[in-house]
Amino acid sequence: MAESALPSDKLHSPDDRHEEHGHSAVPYLVVWIALLFFTALTYVTGTMHLGGWALPLALSIACIKSAMVALIFMHLKESSGATRLVFVTALVFLALLMFFTVADVATRFKPATPAGAPFGTERSQPEGLLEHEMPAEE
Amino acid sequence: MSDEAAGLPEGILAHHFSSLDRQNEAMKLGMWLFRSTDILLFAGLFTGYAVYRFQFQLAFTECSRHLNITLGTLNTVVLITSSFTVAMSIHFARTDHPRAAAICLALTILFALGFLGIKAVEYSEHFREHALPGKYYASEEVKVAVVAGMSVLSWLLWRTLQGRYSSRYYTGLELGGLYWHLVDLVWIFLYPLLYLI
Repeated sequence: MAESALPSDKLHSPDDRHEEHGHSAVPYLVVWIALLFFTALTYVTGTMHLGGWALPLALSIACIKSAMVALIFMHLKESSGATRLVFVTALVFLALLMFFTVADVATRFKPATPAGAPFGTERSQPEGLLEHEMPAEE
Repeated sequence: MSDEAAGLPEGILAHHFSSLDRQNEAMKLGMWLFRSTDILLFAGLFTGYAVYRFQFQLAFTECSRHLNITLGTLNTVVLITSSFTVAMSIHFARTDHPRAAAICLALTILFALGFLGIKAVEYSEHFREHALPGKYYASEEVKVAVVAGMSVLSWLLWRTLQGRYSSRYYTGLELGGLYWHLVDLVWIFLYPLLYLI
């Protein structure tokens, strides 16, 4: 009989429900402060012009932030296996789509820039080009 | 099962569920499935972004300079804080403080309005600069999600004020929270990708 019960039946037996009053708000506060800190970190590092490292760093910070939101704010940490599986499956398919598409695009031959195009297909900007072309920025 | 639902507001336990716990689990699983399809929708958009950014790096860098980083950062803080207030409203409902839960929900709705307000300021700037590709280029995915989220939050606020959520039952509130947090999740990635190139 006990084996036929869902795990959730055991997790939230009627006795457990009274313990909701002991539920702590501290993790939410900690995560909120951490999210603000990481936002500040993203802003500071994002305006430092770190070159090739800027994007991986920004995305890594974003991954840490979203992990905190998912685990604590969205209660994934205390969720049952089925909900975790759904979320992880979505992430796996996101990774599959992104990885193969970006890998394809990143390893293609460089296309030629059409004459007169306002922006080229070059991967990195030539030295001093933007300052020349966009004097209105300053 | 009927004694379990006893004392709860009427109509919470649907007749086809054997217990409230099973219903709660099913509801959460359903919401996560819905949010996962949303993640996959955004996966397509982010992949499109990645491909174009790879091909037109200069254009992306230049266009990003027309965005107001201060407003973008402010919006990030607003959304993060709104996620925090939703989490707190669920916490308060769970610990039987319905009034605090309602206040937190109301704050969240205000933050959502703030987000849309800041977006409106940004877009009116773009409109003045003629930087938008078309007249109706306002139907950005995130904003649709925010408006939908605000409707959900308002409805939850109404239900909270009616006293429907407590330590015995707060799954409805939890589902609204799940909806709202995903907006935040998406924005966490959009912020560095759009504003900080």
